[in-house]
Amino acid sequence: MPSLVSAHDRVKSVEWTPTYVDHQPRYPTRYKLPKKTKDPFRTLVREYLTMEQEKDDRLYGGFEDVLSRTAPAAEADLGWLEGIKLALPIVAYGEYGAEKCQSMLVDTVDNAELRAGYLAQAMDERRHLNQEMYLLRHFAKHAAEPCGFDRGMQVRGDNIFARAGRVCFDNFYVNDPIECALSLQVVAETAYTNPLFIALTRVAALNGDHATPGVFLSIQSDEARHSANGYATLAAVLSEPDNLPMLQVDFDRSFWRLHVFMDPLMSVLFDYFGRGRMDTSYNKLWEEWVADDWVGNYIGSLEPFGLQVPKYFGHAVERMKWSGHTAAMVAAASWPLHYWRWPTVTPQHMEWLENSYPGWYETYGQFWEAFNLLEDPNMEMIPLQGLSERPYFCRTCALPCVFPKIDEATTRVRSYDGRKHAFCSAPCEEIFCQQPERYEGTMLWDEVWDGVGLEEFIVTRNLLREDGRTLVAQPHTKQGEHLWTIDDVKRLNFEISNPLNNVTEAPELVKQADGTLARAEATP
Amino acid sequence: MSGASAAKPPRDFSYINARRKRPSEYEAVNLHIQPKLGNWWDNGNSYLRTPEGREAFSEDSSRLRHPDWYDFRDPSALWQRPYMRMQAEQERAIERLTEDVADSLATDIDPTWLIEIVQNHYAVWSFVEYGLFRGMFSASREALSDTVVASMLFETFDRVRHSQDIVHYMLALEENVPGFDATGAKEAWLESPRYQPLRRLVEEISFGVCDWGETVVAVNLCFDPIATEVGVLRLIGALGPIHGDVVSKLILNSVARDRRRERAWTEEFVRMVTGPDVPAAAANRAIVAEWIDRWTPRAVEAVAPLAELYECLPAAKVPFGEVLAVAIVHQRQVVAALGVDGVG
Repeated sequence: MPSLVSAHDRVKSVEWTPTYVDHQPRYPTRYKLPKKTKDPFRTLVREYLTMEQEKDDRLYGGFEDVLSRTAPAAEADLGWLEGIKLALPIVAYGEYGAEKCQSMLVDTVDNAELRAGYLAQAMDERRHLNQEMYLLRHFAKHAAEPCGFDRGMQVRGDNIFARAGRVCFDNFYVNDPIECALSLQVVAETAYTNPLFIALTRVAALNGDHATPGVFLSIQSDEARHSANGYATLAAVLSEPDNLPMLQVDFDRSFWRLHVFMDPLMSVLFDYFGRGRMDTSYNKLWEEWVADDWVGNYIGSLEPFGLQVPKYFGHAVERMKWSGHTAAMVAAASWPLHYWRWPTVTPQHMEWLENSYPGWYETYGQFWEAFNLLEDPNMEMIPLQGLSERPYFCRTCALPCVFPKIDEATTRVRSYDGRKHAFCSAPCEEIFCQQPERYEGTMLWDEVWDGVGLEEFIVTRNLLREDGRTLVAQPHTKQGEHLWTIDDVKRLNFEISNPLNNVTEAPELVKQADGTLARAEATP
Repeated sequence: MSGASAAKPPRDFSYINARRKRPSEYEAVNLHIQPKLGNWWDNGNSYLRTPEGREAFSEDSSRLRHPDWYDFRDPSALWQRPYMRMQAEQERAIERLTEDVADSLATDIDPTWLIEIVQNHYAVWSFVEYGLFRGMFSASREALSDTVVASMLFETFDRVRHSQDIVHYMLALEENVPGFDATGAKEAWLESPRYQPLRRLVEEISFGVCDWGETVVAVNLCFDPIATEVGVLRLIGALGPIHGDVVSKLILNSVARDRRRERAWTEEFVRMVTGPDVPAAAANRAIVAEWIDRWTPRAVEAVAPLAELYECLPAAKVPFGEVLAVAIVHQRQVVAALGVDGVG
């Protein structure tokens, strides 16, 4: 039979430049791209089908056989599964954005070598998406507490954290296609899939969840090929010297957009929903996988070609120590808004947090002790009531402006185009100023729900259980007692409000000659 | 205790407008992944726009209008796992048969067929499928629901599969049949007068059409029923065995299976946008009819030069003109049944 090499070479030759129509890419890029580069994939359809079918058989065979008979979903740690409830609807959207990215790249990158890789990746992404949805449904059917698994996909659009996930993953396909590839393949799939699919696999297993590891490891087995796609795309872009200045700007932006959402999310899942069952912390893994491996080795190896460590990496390092804990605190404080329950932070868990993050108790310990008291509806209080001023939402990343710590937040408020905008950090402000058109008409969570009572939000957003009165969300994972109902919420008389309404003066951002924005007082 | 939930939880996704009592696996793993303007995911229009300021999805990406694109269901209900399993089986069958007959390819296949049809024509078809793959894949970015996108993605993969099956077969023939050389296919595709109308058509559909709905209609209701039917299915699939070519026959049986599935989802798509409860049904019907009108004559024109292939085969009992006429009649029947028969 013919060799794979000859088959591969012949397949690549089935490519031509159209001459009967003026082929204008549907998704034009600002980048110059060479016609020739190396295909990192070297995978033909025939081999791909066999390989993926074998993986599918192993994965779904497990679901159909062992998991359906032994029902471990019903025995997994209740607190851990709440984290999966939160994460899967968000991650599934990331997979879909990744698939869309490939359909743009195949049109834009006029290079036969890379097209085969893009198609295979699109099929992989559909695979991951379907696997994650299958897993979500598995839990809806079998978990001891299915509520939330059944509707997470529906209610995520009105959730303050899932909306930020949407903004993060929009970058995979609502962008210049090359910047999409940077966000997806060079940052997300090279830097962040190990923490997501490997670290969480370990935590899941330690929490008695035997369904998630199979799915996540099967997904991860495809990711190396995707990061190879990213490396090949990056190499192609770097081969044109004119690309370098804009590449660095886009790369800086891609890194920050992923970091600003993924790291707090991962940290919360790992350190809080993981219930302190790992022998390491999320920050330690971040230092190893993101700082050392990705920045140190991967990006370091590209420095001779002109690519530098992301400009905002130093900001990320500064935020890393506490941002996950701050995100956890805000997510817990806003618990009635969610489609998952908050697991109680036990004394043992607090000890693990303090040991893993020395100084944690001093900043966060009191909050969690108070939070544990407020799990009883008879206390008639939610943590949000205790805030004298609610945090703004960041126009760029859509997260609350509370990082790295609430009392040390680097929030700034500006006005532009007749609207007020808050930013959680200097990088988010800078990114907004680079492309203000990307936020025209967009509304953040508290702008949509400004003036609406908490009770109305919960009822209209499908956040009540089947009895029509018990909340999906709870500040604990206990069954059958201490469950908050809509009547308890009514008594709180709590209204959602947009704190930007109270801002009377905000420095104005004005357009510069190059289309970017700068503060008026800084303009000569 | 302030009020434990007594009602039973649904134990399934509660947000899917399922066709049956419970969501099918196909519905559960595909539906409501993609945001749409105004739905749960998009509430408040809160998300990123492109650097040019456009939203992630635009109703104007197609002239067709539908109140809920998420009503679409692929009649074959394919999601990734069954799709991969099905196509992996097809590929194993093709590979195994090719291996089994490799030693006898030189003696079993009629020499005229081998050179005139397989080497000089079938090899060129790998470019046709590759071109349509590019067009359908990039168009899928804009489609307005996840279920439509799934069908477009699988069809995209089908076309690359066929393109590569042709390549694999050509290489097997080159290795086993002295004098067989399909490396001239690219030159023929780019320069031979026989293929220029076909190449023009593939390029116009894949690189000239901006409306994703038009891409679907042009490929699946115009190009395939006529060009693919006459250019490979009726010519090579039907006549291959008579000339000792069992491999081409098997490949094209598999392709025909894909095409039936693709036509079925496209028919479902057209039925959906022209359904009695769709406010824009009449306008949609007119638009689809206009597309059928635009691309059908071009498909007929594109395959006209292929008449000489039929003429060189004594075993081709049905002349080219008749094969083409039957294909046109069948295509008209399909579009007439859909109420979008715009061909004059």
